[in-house]
Amino acid sequence: MITTQDMPPQSLLQLLRGSWTDRGLLVVSLIGIAAAWFFIQGRIASGPPMAEIYHGDTMLASYRLPEPGQPPVHFEAEGDLGISEIVINADGVRMASSPCTSQRCVLSGTHRHAGDLVACVPNRILVTIRGSRDSNLDAVVE
Amino acid sequence: MEVSMRPPLAELENKAVWLALLMLAIGLHIFEAALPSLGPWFKPGLANLITLLALVWMGPRAAFMLSVFRVLVGSFFIGTMFTPTFVISMAGGVTAALVMIAAWRTLPGISLVGVSLLGALAHMTAQFVTVESLFIHQAALYYILPPLLLLSCFTGWINGALAGYIAGRLKHDSIR
Repeated sequence: MITTQDMPPQSLLQLLRGSWTDRGLLVVSLIGIAAAWFFIQGRIASGPPMAEIYHGDTMLASYRLPEPGQPPVHFEAEGDLGISEIVINADGVRMASSPCTSQRCVLSGTHRHAGDLVACVPNRILVTIRGSRDSNLDAVVE
Repeated sequence: MEVSMRPPLAELENKAVWLALLMLAIGLHIFEAALPSLGPWFKPGLANLITLLALVWMGPRAAFMLSVFRVLVGSFFIGTMFTPTFVISMAGGVTAALVMIAAWRTLPGISLVGVSLLGALAHMTAQFVTVESLFIHQAALYYILPPLLLLSCFTGWINGALAGYIAGRLKHDSIR
C-alpha cells in the first residue's frame, strides 16, 4: 500500500505516464475491450440493417432500416410510464418523444450503426440496431 | 487549554476535511449531470476524483462513505432521488469505490492512475449490469459497452493523474 508520504511531488505529465503496474492494467484492459468489441461486432454487424424494439425482456417489433427515399416508420412503444414514439428512417433510428423526465433518450439523437442503441430506462424501452448496409446478405438461415 | 482537548480537535479537523471533500464531490456530481451526455450513462467521472483524494488522505472507510453520500445528496439536488438514475448512479459509485479500495490495498506498485482506471471500468460495467438486471432485461444492451469502456479507460487515466497531481501539490504546499 502506498501512502502520501511515499509520493514525491511530480508534474502532471510525469503522473500521466503511470507506474508499470498501471500500464500493465491498461494493456490488459484494452486487450479485453478490443476482444469484446470484435466479438460483439462479429455477431451483430452481419445481415441487413435492422432496428429491434424491446420493452423489458419482450421484443415489440423489428424493422429493416428504410432505404433513402422510402417513407419512415413511426412506432409507438408502450412502456411502464407511457408511450415512447420511435422514428425509423433512412438516416437511422431516433426517439421522437418519451414520457420520461430527463428526455436523454430523445436528446441522444439519431443512431445508425450496428451496435448503436437508444434506451429509455425509466420507461424500460430499448431500441438496438443490428446489421449493416455494407452487408450483401439479406438474411442468415441456420 | 488542557492537552486532552487535542484528540477531539484532530477528529473534528478530519470531519471538516471529509465534509469539504463531500461538498466538492456533490458540486462535481451536479456539474456532471448538467453536462451534455457523451453516451448512455457516460460521465467524465470528475466526482470520482474526490473519492480518490479521500482514499489517499483519509482511508478506505472515508472514501466509501463519501461515494455513498455524494450520490445520495447529489441526487437530491438534481431531482433524481430514488429514480432509476439514482439506482444506476449508486450501483456505479459503490462498485467503483469498492474496486478502487481493493486495488489500492492489494495491488503492488499501483498508483492513483491505475486505481482510477479500475474504478472507471468498474463504474461503467456496474451501471450496465444494473440496468440489464433491474430495468431492461436485454443482453443487447451490452453492444455499446466496449466503446464506453474505452472512453472510461481514457477518463479514468486522466482523472487518476489529476488526483495524484492535486494530492502531491497539496502535500507539497503543506496544506495537508
